[in-house]
Amino acid sequence: MPTVTDGERTGLQTRARRQAERFRDFVDDTSPEALVTMTVIAVSLLAAFVGFLLVSSLTVVPFAVFLLASGYGWFRHQEETALILTLTTTVSTLLILGLIIVFIFRESIPVVQYESATVFGVSVPGLRMFVETRWDAVASPVRYSMVPMIHGTVMVTVIATAVAAPLGVSAALFLSEIAPDVVREVVKPGVEILAGIPSIVYGFIGFTVLSPWASDQFDLSGQGTYLFVGVVVGLMALPTVVSVAEDALSSVPESMKSGSLAVGTTDWQTMTSITLPAAFSGVSAAVLLGVGRAIGETMAATVMLRGVPRLTEPLMNVFYGQETLTSLIARNYGEADGLQLDALFVAGVILFVTVLGISIGAQYIEWRMRRKLGGEV
Amino acid sequence: MTQDSARLSDRVSRRKFLSTTAVLGAAGLAGCGGSSDGGSDGSSDRGSDGSASDGSSGDGSSDGSQAAEGDTETATGGSDTSLLTAEGSSTVYPISNKGSSYWNSNAPPSDGEYWGSNEESSVPGWDEIETDMLLADYFASQFGFEPTEQRSQAPFQTTIGLSHSGTGCQAVVDGLVDIGNSSGPITAELGWSEEKRDDTVVDNVVGRDGQPVVVSKDVSNAGVSQLSGDQIRQIFQGEVDNWNELDGVDYDKEIYVIGRAEGSGTDTSFRLNMLGDADASMEVDTRQGQNQQVAQLVSQNEGAIAYMALAFTSDQVLPIAIDFEGTLYEPDPDAEHTIFDSDYPLNRDLHMYTLIEEDNPDGGGRDRREAAFMNMFLTQFGQTVFVEQNNYIPLPTSDLEEFRSRLEPLKE
Repeated sequence: MPTVTDGERTGLQTRARRQAERFRDFVDDTSPEALVTMTVIAVSLLAAFVGFLLVSSLTVVPFAVFLLASGYGWFRHQEETALILTLTTTVSTLLILGLIIVFIFRESIPVVQYESATVFGVSVPGLRMFVETRWDAVASPVRYSMVPMIHGTVMVTVIATAVAAPLGVSAALFLSEIAPDVVREVVKPGVEILAGIPSIVYGFIGFTVLSPWASDQFDLSGQGTYLFVGVVVGLMALPTVVSVAEDALSSVPESMKSGSLAVGTTDWQTMTSITLPAAFSGVSAAVLLGVGRAIGETMAATVMLRGVPRLTEPLMNVFYGQETLTSLIARNYGEADGLQLDALFVAGVILFVTVLGISIGAQYIEWRMRRKLGGEV
Repeated sequence: MTQDSARLSDRVSRRKFLSTTAVLGAAGLAGCGGSSDGGSDGSSDRGSDGSASDGSSGDGSSDGSQAAEGDTETATGGSDTSLLTAEGSSTVYPISNKGSSYWNSNAPPSDGEYWGSNEESSVPGWDEIETDMLLADYFASQFGFEPTEQRSQAPFQTTIGLSHSGTGCQAVVDGLVDIGNSSGPITAELGWSEEKRDDTVVDNVVGRDGQPVVVSKDVSNAGVSQLSGDQIRQIFQGEVDNWNELDGVDYDKEIYVIGRAEGSGTDTSFRLNMLGDADASMEVDTRQGQNQQVAQLVSQNEGAIAYMALAFTSDQVLPIAIDFEGTLYEPDPDAEHTIFDSDYPLNRDLHMYTLIEEDNPDGGGRDRREAAFMNMFLTQFGQTVFVEQNNYIPLPTSDLEEFRSRLEPLKE
């Protein structure tokens, strides 16, 4: 073990040294004038950014300097200017992401403090949001529990995945392996167009047609069920799953399939024992993307759900649909103020953390598959 | 797929695609521009054509007031035709501003949409008006103004400013405007005693702001046409779950309780007026932000109860009578006590205050301009178009008659 760590450390060190060398070479190779221009561009843009954050009226000065320097640099040292401009845009993308994260976390602090709970004599901020289940922003005791919304999001996501994953993967398998070319050429763009239908359209159909129908059929009091929100959201996620999974399946090399067929397997055996396992990382990425879409789906959930944060009884009762994290924000942002508004930011933080987890999970699966199968598949 | 796109890109280059899109887009835009021009030429002759036919005038609102002031000197019959000004509450603003817009455009009776009737449509409440005069001419002439008989040229112009209830009240007391719009009583806005109010201003109520309680059709068919205040409180606080748990109701159906967005103005005022406290607890099955959504939910679900603006009621969404401490408020505007009344707990009056002045006729609270303008709101036409269509509650018949009779002495 120690040797491995040592090896990694020396590897890191060499890489850092190499980077530093490259940087020094670059500085040596570039004319001083170009270097000055680049520095002016970078520094003025940074200054403009700081001024923007401080809401200073002087922001325009560094920004004008930035524009002038870029304009000058573009004509005199195009190569270096292009380099620094692309670098700054990349950095600013990351910076904006960072600022958004900082902002939603900072905005949620007051309600996290308000919802402190004491465990073994230690006050834990925010804990009460996850151990109690009461949400009431008006009547005392005022509580902002996130449990009902987390429950709702989990319900909708599970149902949506149960709809989208089997349908999506089998449709992708059919399109990629079985369907004749003509069918694929027509159906795949069609599926991708499905993805372009705005979510409010699905939500509106759900609100006016599906929900009242479900209410009648299952003899429910009023309308709004996790079941049908999940089904609708699953249908919305379907095109994503089909499209990504189909790409993954069709990128399995023809040689692998031919080899399998050559030893006498049937088409179906090749699909299940060669194609699907080989494309497993891509297919799971497709499903995870669908899950991500289901978690983040807002409009359809907002119009179809009841909008009263509370747990269903029993917990797995899918015939009553209360509220999800996203629909909570969408429904209340207009009227909320004070702690209630901060509580919406907490919902945002939970969503952010969840989506982050999912995307890291997807990366991990991909990395593991690549290592297992060796090289690109 | 990659091959396909390669083949495609051989045939259609990106530049070609972009330029085609641009040409199509430009053509589309041109088409839109052309058609909208055509549209405005065809329909909105009241605005532009009116001022053009005026001949001497240049543009817009300043011109209107100049013309009005000019007329003042030459006015016949001794009536003041200067610009009528109003200011105040944003709640009253939609009513008074729509009234003012209608007034200033002085539509002819052949219009059908804004005034009068033609073969396509007629304005609400037209059968009790039936005149061949233009809109503002009709109302103004009742108070001794000379009709202009000219579209876009009302006998006097009106303008409505937007501020706050308190500001509007103060402005009318200081004589800065003719009418002060307020959604609260002036006694509360300016901290006055009732005597001072009676000595200084006249309260003209033009409509009410409130949320009648409605039920779905099946509930109404099951014989629920009235509930007591306490029963409604029980329903909205989750003490009863089924209609048959209420006294005198024989309908076995779970109650589907529809509330409004948590912490919104409608939600807070309902808690305050119906449940007794702005922080009162509520237990509802669903919460909706907008009247349309509430109406839709009530119409497509059974056993539903909700509160919402009156304009969204229909034969599927029916307002019910409420019994408050022995007084039964009915949805019928001709009844003795109605849900449109001032003392119905979910309502508040929308006021247009006018100042009591020496030079008013008989030293009263309104001059003839104010009375003429106010009278427009106190007709069936005014109540429907300006009050109800803005989602406020129109005045019941008895109030309308009473308020109109106060203007009678000023008529000529």
